[in-house]
Amino acid sequence: MKKYLYIIISLAVLTILLFPSLTRAEEKKDSSTIQESHLAFSYVCTSNDSVCLTANLYIKKESDPFGLKNATIGFFCKEDNTLVPLGNAVTDQDGNAVLMVVISKLHPGKDGMITYVSRFDGTPKYTSVSESFTAEPAKLRITFNVQDSIRYLNVTGTRKDAKGQEVALTKETVLLYVPRLFSLLKIGEVALDEEGKASFEFPNDIVGDTLGNLKIIAKIEENDKYGFVQGTSNINWGVPKQYYKAEVPSRELWTPIAPLWMIITLIIMLAGVWAHYMYAVWELFMIKVNNKKDNPTI
Amino acid sequence: MENNEKQLLKEFAPQIERTGVQGYIWILFLLSVIGLGLYAFIQQVTKGHIVTGMRDNVVWGIYIVNFIFFMGVSYAGALISGTLHLFRTAWRKPVIRMAEFITIISLLIGPCYILLCIGRLDKLHYLVLHGRIQSPITWDVIAISTDIFGCFIFLYLAVLRDLANMRDFEELQLPRWRKKLYKVLALGYTGTEDQKKRLERATNIMATMVIAIAIIVYSVLAWIFSVTLQPGWHSTIFGPYFVIAAVYSGSAVLIISMWFFRKVYHLEQYITKKHFVAVGMIMLVLAAFFGYFTFSDYLTKWYGSEKNDELLIQLLFKEFYWPFIISNYVGVLLPLLVVGIAKFRTITNITLTAVVVIIALWLNRYLIVIPTLQSPYLPIQDSRPEWSIYQSTWVEWSLTAAGVAMFCLLFTLASKFIPIVTVAGNTQEAKPEDVLV
Repeated sequence: MKKYLYIIISLAVLTILLFPSLTRAEEKKDSSTIQESHLAFSYVCTSNDSVCLTANLYIKKESDPFGLKNATIGFFCKEDNTLVPLGNAVTDQDGNAVLMVVISKLHPGKDGMITYVSRFDGTPKYTSVSESFTAEPAKLRITFNVQDSIRYLNVTGTRKDAKGQEVALTKETVLLYVPRLFSLLKIGEVALDEEGKASFEFPNDIVGDTLGNLKIIAKIEENDKYGFVQGTSNINWGVPKQYYKAEVPSRELWTPIAPLWMIITLIIMLAGVWAHYMYAVWELFMIKVNNKKDNPTI
Repeated sequence: MENNEKQLLKEFAPQIERTGVQGYIWILFLLSVIGLGLYAFIQQVTKGHIVTGMRDNVVWGIYIVNFIFFMGVSYAGALISGTLHLFRTAWRKPVIRMAEFITIISLLIGPCYILLCIGRLDKLHYLVLHGRIQSPITWDVIAISTDIFGCFIFLYLAVLRDLANMRDFEELQLPRWRKKLYKVLALGYTGTEDQKKRLERATNIMATMVIAIAIIVYSVLAWIFSVTLQPGWHSTIFGPYFVIAAVYSGSAVLIISMWFFRKVYHLEQYITKKHFVAVGMIMLVLAAFFGYFTFSDYLTKWYGSEKNDELLIQLLFKEFYWPFIISNYVGVLLPLLVVGIAKFRTITNITLTAVVVIIALWLNRYLIVIPTLQSPYLPIQDSRPEWSIYQSTWVEWSLTAAGVAMFCLLFTLASKFIPIVTVAGNTQEAKPEDVLV
């Protein structure tokens, strides 16, 4: 028996010791003076001659990232080793700050590349941090045409050379998507030719809105030279979505009214069970009542 | 009260009248573990579910595993006690009360873990106000609440005669309030012929009901998983599989309870090796059934080679290799060897096997919940990579430990209130030595 007593005492002591240590660990973390902040910087070239710069500011808690809101992020463009401010943006509740910049206002280097910088200057609570990347501005345009009753989606890719002239974007892979409820549905993949053009036979079975409207997105993703490039366009080539009004009263599984068989089964089962409960309770009641009638024989 | 019953009560009186230093230390230890759980709970309520490992994709963690485990143990208690009562099993008296206590105590603790899964406890009443009968969650709420009532009535009927014995046993040194409480709870039972008949009738009905309800309620719990189109869950045998796994885990908990109370209250005379062998045999049969269901479930998934089922099985054999082996190989084969071979059939061996079975069955529930949530049909995307994998936290483990401690505490307190071995009618039964193999 002593053995068990020792085990119990040891476990109790361990618990008592562990309890305040956990508390202290939590307090220590909360009272720390300055926390390291991190910045995730991304960039998308859009079809309307602009660049969408997105910076996500976050800190790490137990290796989980937490976005910092209401922080001002400065966006810059590097020209001859000097930082030219592009503008500031304040982070939202997820820590995202977004700035749209018109490409024509930017001055690429001799190689046609532009270096973007995002910077958080820090606060007494969080460290300062900056991130940068270099990419060449590029653009994707989407057009549509019908030939011999076949629908075609055409993609044209361009980039700006060192002189600022638009030239064809060649031999790059472009992914084609249609936004769905949760994410993007990939409908195809094309490669740009020597003229920066590609054509794609548009599928006939993609569901659009009630009028058949679809949004098409063409993307170059994670390219070493151009980063992310995106072009969008709308077209009414989708299959119109149709809503069917269910018969009234509708008793499908997903409607507010349960199917009749389900209600009947539930009532029968519950009534059967509770009737037996009531009977058992009634017998208990009768045991108490009959107490005085008979002679004790226990 | 018969003389033999008086003799038994005299023997059990010390455990009811007094609590020794060791007993207080034990209770203090359990309270400190519960205190740790309470602290973890406060952390969870104030900081939110971020302090747990549950995230957008893997929305369930060890709380739901504990819920399934405790509910399983509860239904097993109901099934075992109900069956032993209905079949008038000769050796049941020393162990049946433990099975009844297991039923009620697990049933009180299990649902608490569901509450811990809910992020917005302030909106809990919506479950009743806006509950839809079509939802398996609503079925579960109805089923569990019905089961709690039934089990309480069954337990009350089962202890009524002993409550009357406690009331009538004048040598018992207890505070006046406790004696009064026994008097009120005994409902004036004096053992008249009419009272005996009524009690017998009600107990038989409730024993039948708790068996039926236990099967239905645990099937409902299984259907929460199996009616969803998730790899690993959408299975027609999940209902009976859950019921078998439940009774299997419950038989193991019963063996450990028998060992514990036998040691602590020196019940060697009443709970003998033959009781361990008898419950061990139940455990052995259930191990075989459990193994059969597990094999059948995984074989059909593996042979079908459906893409997501294949991914799930790969995950089980890679990331969850050891839990899978312990759960589905060790947990099935060990009872077959230890209880099946007469040479290994000792009290210690059977108890240790029961401990392994409990661990295996807990892991079995873990493997049902977590790997499936980590490999859904709709691929996890636009999510932080670390959020697609479940990692339990100290908060969840503390609350798990608190649940186990609460189970032990309530069991201890219940054994202080009423003898852990049934006294009423104990002498009418044959001695276990005479009736067991």
